[in-house]
Amino acid sequence: MSRLRIFRRMFLANVKEFYRDRSSLFWMIAFPLIFTFIFGLVFSGGDQITYSIGISTEEPTPVTERLIEEFEDISTFTVTTGNLEEELDALKDGNRRMVLELPAITTDDVRNRVTSDVKFYYSKGEGETNRALISAIKEIFTGIERGITGDSPLFRLEASPLETRELTQFDYVMPGILAMALMQLGLFGVFQFMNLRENKVIRGLAVTPLPRDTLFESEVALRLLVAIVQTFLIVVVGRLVFGVELVGNLLLLAGLVFLGAATFVSMGYMLASFTRSLEGGRNLIQTVQFPMMFLSGIFFPIEIMPDYIRPVVRAIPLTYLGDALRQVMVGFPPQYSLQTNVLVLTGWLIFSAILAIRYWKWE
Amino acid sequence: MKNTIEVNELKKYYGDVKAVDGITFSVDEGEIFGMLGPNGAGKTTTIETVIGLIERTSGDISVLGMEPDTDLPTIKRKIGVQLQNPSLFPRLTVKETLELFASFYPEPLDVKEAANQVDIEEAFNTSVESLSGGQKHRLAVALSLVSNGKIIFLDEPTTGLDPKARRDLWDTITNLQKRDITVFLTTHYMDEAEKLCDHLVIIDMGKIIARGSPDQLINKYFPRRAIEFTDPGLDREEREELAKLNFKGDLSFDEGDNRVILYSENVAETFDELFDFTQNIDKPLNDVSVRTATLDDVFLKLTGRGIEEDE
Repeated sequence: MSRLRIFRRMFLANVKEFYRDRSSLFWMIAFPLIFTFIFGLVFSGGDQITYSIGISTEEPTPVTERLIEEFEDISTFTVTTGNLEEELDALKDGNRRMVLELPAITTDDVRNRVTSDVKFYYSKGEGETNRALISAIKEIFTGIERGITGDSPLFRLEASPLETRELTQFDYVMPGILAMALMQLGLFGVFQFMNLRENKVIRGLAVTPLPRDTLFESEVALRLLVAIVQTFLIVVVGRLVFGVELVGNLLLLAGLVFLGAATFVSMGYMLASFTRSLEGGRNLIQTVQFPMMFLSGIFFPIEIMPDYIRPVVRAIPLTYLGDALRQVMVGFPPQYSLQTNVLVLTGWLIFSAILAIRYWKWE
Repeated sequence: MKNTIEVNELKKYYGDVKAVDGITFSVDEGEIFGMLGPNGAGKTTTIETVIGLIERTSGDISVLGMEPDTDLPTIKRKIGVQLQNPSLFPRLTVKETLELFASFYPEPLDVKEAANQVDIEEAFNTSVESLSGGQKHRLAVALSLVSNGKIIFLDEPTTGLDPKARRDLWDTITNLQKRDITVFLTTHYMDEAEKLCDHLVIIDMGKIIARGSPDQLINKYFPRRAIEFTDPGLDREEREELAKLNFKGDLSFDEGDNRVILYSENVAETFDELFDFTQNIDKPLNDVSVRTATLDDVFLKLTGRGIEEDE
């Protein structure tokens, strides 16, 4: 009766208890799938996401005209040209994602390989940079450069995830659905445990030599297993039915899924430990989960939300999980770096774990 | 030799409520020990503190020479416990539940064997949520047996069982003695206590009011026969009159069942006197029965109530 053997037995008992419960099974697995299907049907083949770029030139030249044409040809960008002041105003109003200021580059400058300074303006509001966009634009310039100096009539643009595949709204939403499923898993999963507590199953086990921690560990292990199954289902459905391809690496995705699941499981226990009854816990968790779903950018991008909401958005762990999953699953331009996302999630995990341990009651 | 269980001045208070108010007893190895008392007397609280499930307010406890405060994990490996109203994983089968619990113990009993001993082999592959109340109860007992522990704690093991199931379970419990297993049980059935226990204590309102073997207790308090009849509406004077008569015994009034009970060593003589008495006061003598005294009589004498009354 080694600890590991007991853990395995408890884990298996938990798994059986779980999959034999029809309603649990439904919520945990069918719910995110249904969501995926609905969103997929609604959004796939829908409008492509575009970025609004403003380009201003000191003085139009044949070179700058050609540059602007090249940008206009890229379907991801909606290009507006105008004078710098107007474009910058538009950027401040949120109507432009980025503004480029081109100097008056002449053909001679090109021939003589004079370096021209191109200024990028972007909204620094939240302190994040649209790094992927910037690097994409740099790639474009590099391509154009090579094209020009090589005297090639074709502009070879380097392939990047942003450019080879049109990102639809569904691509944006699908990782969000997974993030949401993980959140539900974590937050509501604690009810299973609370049910056991209410029904005195835990008490029945307390008279046996089963270590209390093992009971807890096996529960958490079950949650993580379900998280993997959910991920797998959502990814497969997304791929087979809607053609959404995974661009990131599978190991990284698995790691993120574990981290996200663990963070929300921990949060679930924390929230539940603040209440005494099943009803109270349910109410608290529902109160928390709905705003999280809508304010975390998993359904609509954060850009469309007013400024005063932004601090709330930045406080929510779901925001970071959604962002990380979007980056890794479909290569969507991230709001935050992957490191930031992982750090914030880990921070939430530790914080909620500490509070949960402090306040959880076994009876 | 240190006793298998030793409890000294155990107290458990819940605020002002004194669930257990200073009880002391010890249990020898291999005996069947009972704690008899009405509901709410403190039986369950006693078991729960002795096995370390809840914290006691004060007092000393020793189980198998160890203390629950410091050696609880070791103690748990060597005992089996059946709690009242057991709750289990509803969707596991009887077999899976037994196997799960068996895995916690170093040398568990074979699960089929445990199921056999409580007569639920036919439900071996049924899910817990589909079991009848009686079956669930028997499963709880089986789970305590699967531990193969040196002490088996049973909290009201036959409550809610039909008469045959009760007797079968009594057999199972007596058989445990053959394997040198000590049994500590609580009950509010005096026939159960009388039939099974080598030693017992009677508990009421958190205190022990009597202790000894069933025979000792009965003989101590009632070395006589009991003659019962329905109270024909005796008033105070008449009751005093009755008491004054020379019955060479005690007189009890069981208010709950409306019975008058006389204890006498000479049944025939008592009967004559009783008959005369009722004739004189012109009240009937109905539903007369003569029997040997039982633990219920002991309880009635000590507390003025019957054990079953409080339900």
